[in-house]
Amino acid sequence: MGKLVRFGLVLLALVACFASAAPKRGGTMVYGRYADSLFLDPVLNDANVDIWILLNIYDTLLAPTPDGKSVKPNLATRYSLSRDGKTMTLVLRPGVKFSDGSPLTPQDVKFSLDRAKDPNNGAWNSLIASIDTVNVSGSNSIVLNLKYPDPSLPAALATFNTAILPQKQFMAMPGAKDEDKAKAFAEHPIGTGPFILKEWKKGSSMTLVRNPYYWGKDENGIQLPYLDELRFEIIPDDNTRILKLQSGELDGAEFIPLARVAELKANANLNMALFPSTEVDSVTMNNRPKLNDGTPNPLSNVLVRQALNYATDKEAIIKIVTFGLGKPSRSYMSSATPLFAAQNGYPYNLDKARQLLKQAGYDKGFDLSTMIVSGNADQTAIASALQQMWTPLGIKLRIDQFDSATNRSKYRANDFQMRLSKWTDDIADPSEITSYFAIYKNVESLHSGFQNTQLENLFDQSQRETAYVKRAVLYQQIQKIYWDQAPIIFLYEAPYPVALQKYVKGFIQIPLGNNIFVNTYLEK
Amino acid sequence: MNRWSYVLLRVLQVIPTFFVVMVLVFVIARLLPGDPLTAVLGERATEAMVVRAKHDLGLDKPIAVQFLIFLENFFRGNLGDSINLKIPVTRLILDRMPVTLFLTLYAAVLAALLAIPLAFVAALRKDTWADNLIRGVFQLGLSMPVFYIGLQLLTLLGARLRWFPVGGYGNNFGEHLYYLFLPALTLGFNLAAILMRNLRAAILEVLQAEYVDFARAKGLRPSLILGKHVLRNALISTVTLFGLNIGGLIGGAVITETVFAIPGVGRLMVDSIFGRDYPVIQGLTLTFALLVSLVFILTDILHAQLDPRLETA
Repeated sequence: MGKLVRFGLVLLALVACFASAAPKRGGTMVYGRYADSLFLDPVLNDANVDIWILLNIYDTLLAPTPDGKSVKPNLATRYSLSRDGKTMTLVLRPGVKFSDGSPLTPQDVKFSLDRAKDPNNGAWNSLIASIDTVNVSGSNSIVLNLKYPDPSLPAALATFNTAILPQKQFMAMPGAKDEDKAKAFAEHPIGTGPFILKEWKKGSSMTLVRNPYYWGKDENGIQLPYLDELRFEIIPDDNTRILKLQSGELDGAEFIPLARVAELKANANLNMALFPSTEVDSVTMNNRPKLNDGTPNPLSNVLVRQALNYATDKEAIIKIVTFGLGKPSRSYMSSATPLFAAQNGYPYNLDKARQLLKQAGYDKGFDLSTMIVSGNADQTAIASALQQMWTPLGIKLRIDQFDSATNRSKYRANDFQMRLSKWTDDIADPSEITSYFAIYKNVESLHSGFQNTQLENLFDQSQRETAYVKRAVLYQQIQKIYWDQAPIIFLYEAPYPVALQKYVKGFIQIPLGNNIFVNTYLEK
Repeated sequence: MNRWSYVLLRVLQVIPTFFVVMVLVFVIARLLPGDPLTAVLGERATEAMVVRAKHDLGLDKPIAVQFLIFLENFFRGNLGDSINLKIPVTRLILDRMPVTLFLTLYAAVLAALLAIPLAFVAALRKDTWADNLIRGVFQLGLSMPVFYIGLQLLTLLGARLRWFPVGGYGNNFGEHLYYLFLPALTLGFNLAAILMRNLRAAILEVLQAEYVDFARAKGLRPSLILGKHVLRNALISTVTLFGLNIGGLIGGAVITETVFAIPGVGRLMVDSIFGRDYPVIQGLTLTFALLVSLVFILTDILHAQLDPRLETA
């Protein structure tokens, strides 16, 4: 009898364990965002405020893995490449429905990809420039004919701009041009993602509710998403966002200033998460021999650029700006970017910097200027630190503050000597950041004017190299050249700081920045 | 001049002011360095994209032509679409303006409710501890920036004591009153301080006037003297001050709305200036100009009501 009771108790305990471990379905999660979305169209949007939440409404054929380094099946259950690497066949998941109940068809996929690759549409079409034609094959397959083998294509098919929209519903929107239709469609988007947009008070709040037709199930076969409702509240002021979290009015809040991470970590009710990110912070240098106003520019000399890299105490900057939460950059791309290869060098060393400057003929120092965005505390801190760090070398750094629109227009016009830059990848592939940072023809290598033929040749090869190992070797060489040429000052990588109530489970922000709520539940 | 032609004259005077504001804001917005596209397209857009988008928005046309198009649309009641938010500006303003108006009026009412009784107490108990306390507290309030007061109130009454929600607007009239109490208090506090000081001084001055002595000599009840003779006369300059400062309240709403996460036009204005969203900047400035003009007209009418000499002047 005693044994039976004990056995029963153990069984009960086990059941209780499993019951508490199983995700709880239902409830509303309120999440505080620093800024509202602008335009919920996968193809025509321009900003992270859209990109980072789009995939809660729309699905892509493949999806990024949580570590952001590879892809997994999504709307397509599998894909295969032809031997010459120029044809990709994708098999669609059977029985998927859009949030209005209509079935997902291969025609919808063709329509969405054709729209996404149209060079007249938006900023992202170059990510799938390798696709020549999209063809429907049978009732559930898509065949992509490529202009050339493209190693980044799987990652591109997991990126927001290739999300699948319903053709009929989109084309039924008013307006003649694609952009007009997109505007109308984005007011009430229809996708196959886990949530549906229910209400959007622009600038104030956005409410998403569970998509009852969503195809995804968890490992126990329970229909996803767990949440009934997901409400974003827009609270631009950092202090207010944190106060609202502390008072329990929010279940989570993004963009916690790094200065306050330690304080929130100490709060027993909160889970202060630091998600690995692809954010890299650096100083872009103008590499041209002359500035826009005709004055000679010492930064055109590679020795000077290397000297500044040696003269920059990254650890000190990491302490000042990220409160120790960042880590020094070891390449232009983040360590969370696929094919990242850590580089050695540029430890803080004033003697080495002095020696390089002497070699370059600048042993007496020179005048420099950097632009920062006015009112941006991080940029002010970095620039002031650099100003002090470089004074012993006779370098006088002037700090020019401009509001962000002015800052950007000067950047676009190459009208700057130095500028602070923050980057996050949009695609789980090194090609995007490389084409912006290192390749001249796109945006003049972040408008630095940097151009290196050898690097560009290696990049061209890497863009068609589908063998993973060979491509990795090419990227090692690319990163080594870039590191040695030092067109930028390599600073640090920083995580995404998100504070959640302890009872919030299963939320992630992947290194690309996407907020993934499909597996989120509230354990309360 | 009778009362109605006075009002009509004041209304007509608004039209040229309005036109000047229209031209100024149109030109100044475009004189700012940067443009909506550098702001909205982000750093990854190529030059070709910027050129195409500029053409689509008509921003490659001469500024005079752009202004004529704007004027034509304006008289059709169309203020254009927001470049960043992709929805009509009129809809944006209609959505958000009620919030800011509610907040501003609420703040003004709270300011008056605080200032008038306290000014009386301070004036009638001149140089006592009560007077000093009232003046001291308001002096302190005046010397603190609005966002600081707001944050302190939020931290103490919102996050710590949880008497009030931390930010937001609520969904019905009762909730608006509750949600906006702290922001309205924050916003109205400086105004209350200014009004209180002015009204106190005015009451002290009026109390010296011969007609007050006369009223006292007639044996009128003190409450009647204060209510009818003192308050009415002391209010004249305070009403003007009140009207002038309501324009300032709308300015203060920008900061208050950001701190308290209230979806009003103040925050929209800041966002649209940073984003160089010309149609929104124009639409909002014109609306502000209209509102401030309206307040001035009302102030003048009220002023004339209190001081009948003005109408015949």
